[in-house]
Amino acid sequence: MTARFGNTELAAKESAAFTKAVRLEVVTFAFMVTAVLAVMLAMGSSQAMKAAWIEDMLALIPPAAFLVGARRARKRPTPGHPYGFHRSVAVGHLVSAVALLTMGLFLVEDSAMSLLRAEHPPIGTVQLFGQTFWAGWLMIAVMVYTGVPPFFLGRMKLPLAEQLHDKVLYADADMQKADWMTAAGTIVGVLFIGMGWWWGDAAAALLIAASILRDGARNLRFATSGLMDERARTYDDKQPHPLTQRVDERLRQLPWVTDSRSRIRDQGHVFHVEAFVCPAPDEEPTLDRLEEAVAAVRELDWKLDDVVVMPVRDLSDTVPDPTA
Amino acid sequence: MRHRARGTLRVRRTSRRVAAACVLALVTGCDLSGPTFPADPDGTLERVRADQVLRAGAAPNPGWVEVDDGRPTGREVRLVEEYAESLDVEVQWTVGTEEHLVGLLEEGRLDLAVGGLTDQNPWVEKVALTRPYVEVTVGGTTEAHVVMLRMGENALLTSLERWLDEHGELP
Repeated sequence: MTARFGNTELAAKESAAFTKAVRLEVVTFAFMVTAVLAVMLAMGSSQAMKAAWIEDMLALIPPAAFLVGARRARKRPTPGHPYGFHRSVAVGHLVSAVALLTMGLFLVEDSAMSLLRAEHPPIGTVQLFGQTFWAGWLMIAVMVYTGVPPFFLGRMKLPLAEQLHDKVLYADADMQKADWMTAAGTIVGVLFIGMGWWWGDAAAALLIAASILRDGARNLRFATSGLMDERARTYDDKQPHPLTQRVDERLRQLPWVTDSRSRIRDQGHVFHVEAFVCPAPDEEPTLDRLEEAVAAVRELDWKLDDVVVMPVRDLSDTVPDPTA
Repeated sequence: MRHRARGTLRVRRTSRRVAAACVLALVTGCDLSGPTFPADPDGTLERVRADQVLRAGAAPNPGWVEVDDGRPTGREVRLVEEYAESLDVEVQWTVGTEEHLVGLLEEGRLDLAVGGLTDQNPWVEKVALTRPYVEVTVGGTTEAHVVMLRMGENALLTSLERWLDEHGELP
């Protein structure tokens, strides 16, 4: 069975990618639940350890947002929701961005305060299976467990995020980067404590917190501007999506069109295209020609499914000139 | 594409740096502190051994710490003295209230303190506690007893905990 986003049928390749993404997120969610439990059991007094636990809790949010959002996005448009339910992706992106930002803020505050207060974390011994050993080794073992899978899961999600144009998936990959980096930071921090360098734990956590905070702020910025109908951007928000240019280029190629300007917003997975075209002076924008124009745009990419082409006498009142 | 490549490179560089830090930490950790891993940030255990004095606090608590003519006695006092003996050092006692002793521990003027404290005591933010070394049942509830130490002196903490594992169940 092929997957769909609303009225948009996915091709076999995208459909397979979507199935894989859902499976990855289910695995992520289940794994993070076990990670939360493991850290809770091993949690000592290390700042970074406490931070890692709270961060694991927050890391449950993006996979949950993805799974809920992906379910909603599949629904076909209804009279009450004529645009469909694609925006559930944007909502999921916003929720994940806030989770990431909260984690960054919490970690920065937490580690900066323990540095300022010059807290010396106590790590004693534990008894496990009849053995007594330094609790730091247990913490390191738990951090290896919680850190290694996110390292790989995050990397597996990035190409899928690009292929499906799914920003929740992208934000979740950022979250998993945050996960494995905090785990690595905690390991370094615990070793520092073991060497008697009490500040090492908080300093390592602070460095990593700064990077998480940056990722969170970046995701929040683009999630909100996306919701405010910013021109569609690439899955990683690094640049305007190339399709935003190709739509006008394609329309200008039509023999009866002299010029075209369009506004393309990211609905989540798919784009909503409103293109304004200026017919040549002696050419009639007949129904056939307009349908042909819509078909030409839709052929460009599967993401361009909801397309409106509107003939106008003058482009100046339609969309701001993209070259201006 | 170009952007993504740069992203991966940065991640790779970070992970390499983290790995390097781990190795450095392990190597220097073994080199510098040898047998004392974890180490004390303020070198308490080394100082105790060098000066042959363990600075201990005692807060009166019937059944655990009693004070007789200014001299501390009782079960936990004996426990600390036996631990000191195992290190071949003398105990220098300071008698005071719990709050007073916690203050001295925070200032680094005491190494450890006893006073019939359980793991439910409210000082956990200010001092380090050992794992419970003995459990007693009082009026139907189980109380797990601990010793207070200066925060973060993990060599002393580890050494005391290991010793208590063997000798904690003293009469």
